[in-house]
Amino acid sequence: MRLFRLLTLRSMRARSLRFLLSAFGIILGVAGMLSIQATNQTALDSILNLFQSTSGRAKLVMTSSSADQSGFSDNILIKMQSISGVLIADPLVIETTDLADKASSNQINISFFGASGGGLLLHGVVPTLETQTRGYKLTAGRFLSNDLKAREIVLVENYAKDEKIKLNDLIKIITPNGSKELKVVGLMARDGPGKTNNGSFGVIPLETAQGLFNRADEIDQVDIVPSNPNPSTAELAQLRAAVQQKIGDNYAVTYPSGQGERMTQMLQNYQIGLNFMSGIALFVGAFLIYNAFAMTVVERTREFGMLRTIGMTRRQVISQVLVEAGFLGIIGSALGVGLGIFLARGLTDLMSTMMNQELGAVIVSPSDITVSMSIGIGVTFLAALLPAIQAGRISPIEALRVRGKSKEGWLIQYGWILGIILLGGSIYLLIANPFPYDVQFRLGSLTVFGLFSGATLLIPVTVGVWEIISRPVIKLIYGSSGSLGSRNVQRSRLRTTLTVAALMVGVAMVIMVRGMTESFAADLRTWIQAYLGGDIYVTSTVRLRSDLQYRLKSVPGVYEVAPLRYFNVDWKTPAGEKETINFMAIDVAAYSHVTNFVFSGDQVDPKQALERLKAGRAVFVSTVLADRYNLAPGGTISLQTRRGYENFDIAGVVVDFYNQGLVVQGSWDDMQRYFDIRDANALLVKADSGVQASDVRNSIDSLYGVRYHLTLISNQAIRDQVFKLMDQAFRMFDVTALISIVVGSLGVINTLTMSVIERTREIGMLRAIGTTRGQIVKMVLAEAMLMGVIGGILGLATGIVLARILFIGMTTMSGYRMTFILPASGVITSLVIALVVSQLAAIAPARRAASVRILEAVHYE
Amino acid sequence: MPVLEAHEISKQYKLGQHKVNALDGVNFQVEKGEFVAIMGPSGSGKSTLLHLLGGLDSPSSGNITLAEQSLAKLSERKSTLVRRHNVGFVFQFFNLLPTLTAEENILLPVIIDGKNPRKYAERLKDLLTLVGLNDRRTHKPDQLSGGEQQRVAIARALITEPAILLADEPTGNLDTKTGTAIMELLRRSCDEFHQTVIVVTHDPKAAAYANRITFLRDGNIVEELHPRKGEALAERLRSIMSTMERLEA
Repeated sequence: MRLFRLLTLRSMRARSLRFLLSAFGIILGVAGMLSIQATNQTALDSILNLFQSTSGRAKLVMTSSSADQSGFSDNILIKMQSISGVLIADPLVIETTDLADKASSNQINISFFGASGGGLLLHGVVPTLETQTRGYKLTAGRFLSNDLKAREIVLVENYAKDEKIKLNDLIKIITPNGSKELKVVGLMARDGPGKTNNGSFGVIPLETAQGLFNRADEIDQVDIVPSNPNPSTAELAQLRAAVQQKIGDNYAVTYPSGQGERMTQMLQNYQIGLNFMSGIALFVGAFLIYNAFAMTVVERTREFGMLRTIGMTRRQVISQVLVEAGFLGIIGSALGVGLGIFLARGLTDLMSTMMNQELGAVIVSPSDITVSMSIGIGVTFLAALLPAIQAGRISPIEALRVRGKSKEGWLIQYGWILGIILLGGSIYLLIANPFPYDVQFRLGSLTVFGLFSGATLLIPVTVGVWEIISRPVIKLIYGSSGSLGSRNVQRSRLRTTLTVAALMVGVAMVIMVRGMTESFAADLRTWIQAYLGGDIYVTSTVRLRSDLQYRLKSVPGVYEVAPLRYFNVDWKTPAGEKETINFMAIDVAAYSHVTNFVFSGDQVDPKQALERLKAGRAVFVSTVLADRYNLAPGGTISLQTRRGYENFDIAGVVVDFYNQGLVVQGSWDDMQRYFDIRDANALLVKADSGVQASDVRNSIDSLYGVRYHLTLISNQAIRDQVFKLMDQAFRMFDVTALISIVVGSLGVINTLTMSVIERTREIGMLRAIGTTRGQIVKMVLAEAMLMGVIGGILGLATGIVLARILFIGMTTMSGYRMTFILPASGVITSLVIALVVSQLAAIAPARRAASVRILEAVHYE
Repeated sequence: MPVLEAHEISKQYKLGQHKVNALDGVNFQVEKGEFVAIMGPSGSGKSTLLHLLGGLDSPSSGNITLAEQSLAKLSERKSTLVRRHNVGFVFQFFNLLPTLTAEENILLPVIIDGKNPRKYAERLKDLLTLVGLNDRRTHKPDQLSGGEQQRVAIARALITEPAILLADEPTGNLDTKTGTAIMELLRRSCDEFHQTVIVVTHDPKAAAYANRITFLRDGNIVEELHPRKGEALAERLRSIMSTMERLEA
């Protein structure tokens, strides 16, 4: 304990800056891991909780399995009630509307599931059944009466408050038959069913809903409460099969939580990718820690030698270093946990925006904290193990030697063999891909470590070669004293190696971050430009009629209007499984005038592909689907239409990230013919050239805004908003890279200061025989420059490979096919950074060298 | 019974392709309370001998007995413990820990041994008085002069009451006046604490404080002097050294 206090703590205090910087690696790694885990847990729990509380006692949900998304006759209820095991069959009519007197909005919500204009979600219910299925908590008034035709509504209190609606008010809602009045008879708490649609929700009597929305005798969904209130999984599956058999294939019986599947799936994909990144952060952290400890051991060689001389055993020396590592690990991990919880909050907010779903308070379980703390401490320990053993090997005679003559370890002499093996192995793994996809993915993080270690081990033997190659350049810049200085890097190869390695990691991080973000951002930008084509995005909380396209087109200044319609459709995968994907219907001619598709590869001629799509019974598939199921132009895809499964020709493969890329595009005519859908979700409007988009927007708003309850928003504004979000997400990586560079520069300062101290006598001698102060400064700067050059070039090489690895990780995470871009700006920036940092870091040691007093120096040691 | 005994010790080094005989069958004994100086020109093997005597290195052949223990048969760990309990070292470059105060540096061997430093309060006081650093006990090495640092190093070497104190060129990095003070200090530790001291030096003035002076040349002991009190020793040593250096040339 005393030893710890006297030696470990004081040594750490003496090197507090390096201590903190090396802790950064661990802090970031642990924080990354914990925040990702916590965010995902929070999101999953919230979603699960949402579906549980909004579905109440219903354990099964029945919907129509036909593609046209229309409802079904309520006759089915009689059939269902006769099924044994079914206690309640609770019918629902589901409609989205909005308050009629609400000002036209220019706000839309963008999420991974598309853009929506908000609006009020209404459930038409049978009050007697509904109250048995779901527990409504009323905060004012009463629930709906048993009169199924009553013009009544119960709203969520928060919504009512936001819209300044009071109990017993009459509100006007938009219906296909104009605006209609309903009396607010009750307000419900924003809890349980009140959480539906983020609280923008109300219930009205079933027949009122059918009447107002032209849905005579139709319902959209039946919630099933089983007789056994707590059925086992097997019992529930049995009941599901029984119901399904009784009602036939025109209906689909699912579990309520199944509706959250898409979100859950997305979260899982996300977690894989993010885990991969925090793994890399941890590995880089481990490397920085190894480096910091190795450097400390080199610096303290004499000290350890003295301690060994006066009777410290090897084990005591090793435990000294390991205790320091343990301390660093604990502090780093603890700070990492703190930062992680903080980050989790931000990430949860981001996730909540991306999913357009409110999430609860961040859940950080004690077990997650324990696991990430242990990993952080363990990694630090492992990283410090080798330097600790090296410290233990220091012979007591080291203390008696004159400085700077320490002998070189085997790792410096023969490490290059191991280095070549590690480098070769990592590159082979990356290029040859000998393992299955998921294994290779996990190996990715190992490759990172292999690359850094391999490149580091190659430094000692190649230092001489580097020096000879760069000698002419350095001589050109710093003159003959420069070449004298650059030769010094060979004197303590271990120290040079560690410094160069630290710089290498920094530069590699910059390249990696830039390469990855730019590749990712470039494709996303292209897609968003196309996806949000035209100048104005028009949507509404109520259904948009198709003829609106022609009305808008006649507005002065409008060049073209392209309607869009998204809907879910089942398809048969090549393996014969049924899956749900998204169908995006477009008016091919209009769409081509407003924006364009981003075709993947050059297998097809875009013009021909569009012609083929227009001709009908054809689709474009996304790159995600094409990759996952080996689909290509010329093949077919089987979609469930209203007449059953039909084959559609694949006319092209396009980049589309909508709905996680699980999307196909087809023509407007096909949508009407095969799926019987006639309305639009949104309209893309392009203004005539030379006409201001804002003027066109104002014209449309004044002509049709109120009448059709339109939400009009400039596409430029949406794009800016999305790009801003994207840039913010990527900025975090830039900070990480910056920290690595700082750590690297600290290494340069250290190495040079030490070599100046060691060479005090030599510098004095040089000054005595007539070397000027300026020449001494140049000598030190030249030494630093050479280290900068080696670190920069090695960092560039490893960085490019790393960027590729991370890119694989990112594409796996998203399932998107993207093109890798090596950013020229990043390459140049990182090389310049390496050189500039090395020179800046050398200023203080150089000044120290220049101020050496000749007489004192020649007497020194 | 001698406290330290070296019997027929040899040490060979490899220098590239060549084998160098640093020590060649040296026999050497030190009695308790003796003050011995080892002198010789550069490369005579004096530092090698000191390393072997202190258990820092092991001989190629021969045996060394320190405090009744044969160093040849000891494991690395055991020889560390022998060193810890029986040997005190003083180096040319002081080798103090920059992060510790003078007092903490002196107590370091006790702390490394896992003992309670408070039990050494009395000894610490005596040593601080001996080295004259009572008022500098809380200073760190960078606040001390070279001479003061070396005095701290001597106190550190003496804290465990070692069987022998080995000093490698203790005045080599100090000016003449400070060097004299350091040698006087070592002499006093011998006189007042009955401490056995072995000093390697090529400074005749420093060696003049010893009871016995051993001369090494080419790995062999070539002469031993047992000066009488009051003898003008330094002059005589200087002439022996210059003769030896001429022979070297």
